[in-house]
Amino acid sequence: MMFAAAIIAVLIALTLAVARALAGPTAFDRLLAANKIGVGAIMLLALFGFMTGRPEFLDVGITYALLNMIGTLAVLKFFRYGALGHAQDLDRDPG
Amino acid sequence: MGQVVDLLSWAALLGGGFFYVVGAIGLNRMPDIFTRLHAVSVSETLGVGLLTLGMLLQAGVTLVAVKLIIIMVVMMWTGAVAAHALARAALHDGEKPLLADATGALVATDPVSLFPELGVRLATPLKSEIVEEETPEDAEPEAHAEAGYGEDEEDANPDAERPGDAGKDGR
Repeated sequence: MMFAAAIIAVLIALTLAVARALAGPTAFDRLLAANKIGVGAIMLLALFGFMTGRPEFLDVGITYALLNMIGTLAVLKFFRYGALGHAQDLDRDPG
Repeated sequence: MGQVVDLLSWAALLGGGFFYVVGAIGLNRMPDIFTRLHAVSVSETLGVGLLTLGMLLQAGVTLVAVKLIIIMVVMMWTGAVAAHALARAALHDGEKPLLADATGALVATDPVSLFPELGVRLATPLKSEIVEEETPEDAEPEAHAEAGYGEDEEDANPDAERPGDAGKDGR
């Protein structure tokens, strides 16, 4: 029951984040909303696993947590440099 | 004993859900990217922390609890790093934060006018910026880049960046 309440809260938050991801004027707004959606999905997985008594969902959650971080940084790097590789072109980091 | 744990778990889960929804509302209501970032960061540390704490109390001392702690630590860590990287990328892209002027109205203010050392860091041009100049938002940072280009090139670049990096090194 308590997990159902938390799941409802997370679902409401996810709906609002999707609204911002669709409306966001800049790419950074969309990226921020996408990051929040990723975190919400992890919380949703964990809470759903607890609600149904199957905590194996947590393993999926850990994977999502690691992928979410890498995904955000990869998209940021892509916006910054226009490419994901080419280390020889990234000779000067702005600090 | 079980009821006390249940009560604490309820409180943590409801608190976490509350902060998570507050972060999402802030994401929609705040006026610019930096304030939205602030709202989301709150929900991704406090909200996630409380939700995980509520589940931890229900899990007891098991392997599930260890996995939950791993999730919590990873999310707290990466959430802060991703928020920092996002703010830095937005600044470098020329996003101007909305700041209150003397009358209290919100105006998009160039942060370099307030923090000159930030201008030194933003003005350090990247190779990719010199090559491609296509996005119109880049006009303002490009002007800074050209203004600071000559002096930054001759003297050692690490020296120019030193004031801005002081906080990073001291951490």
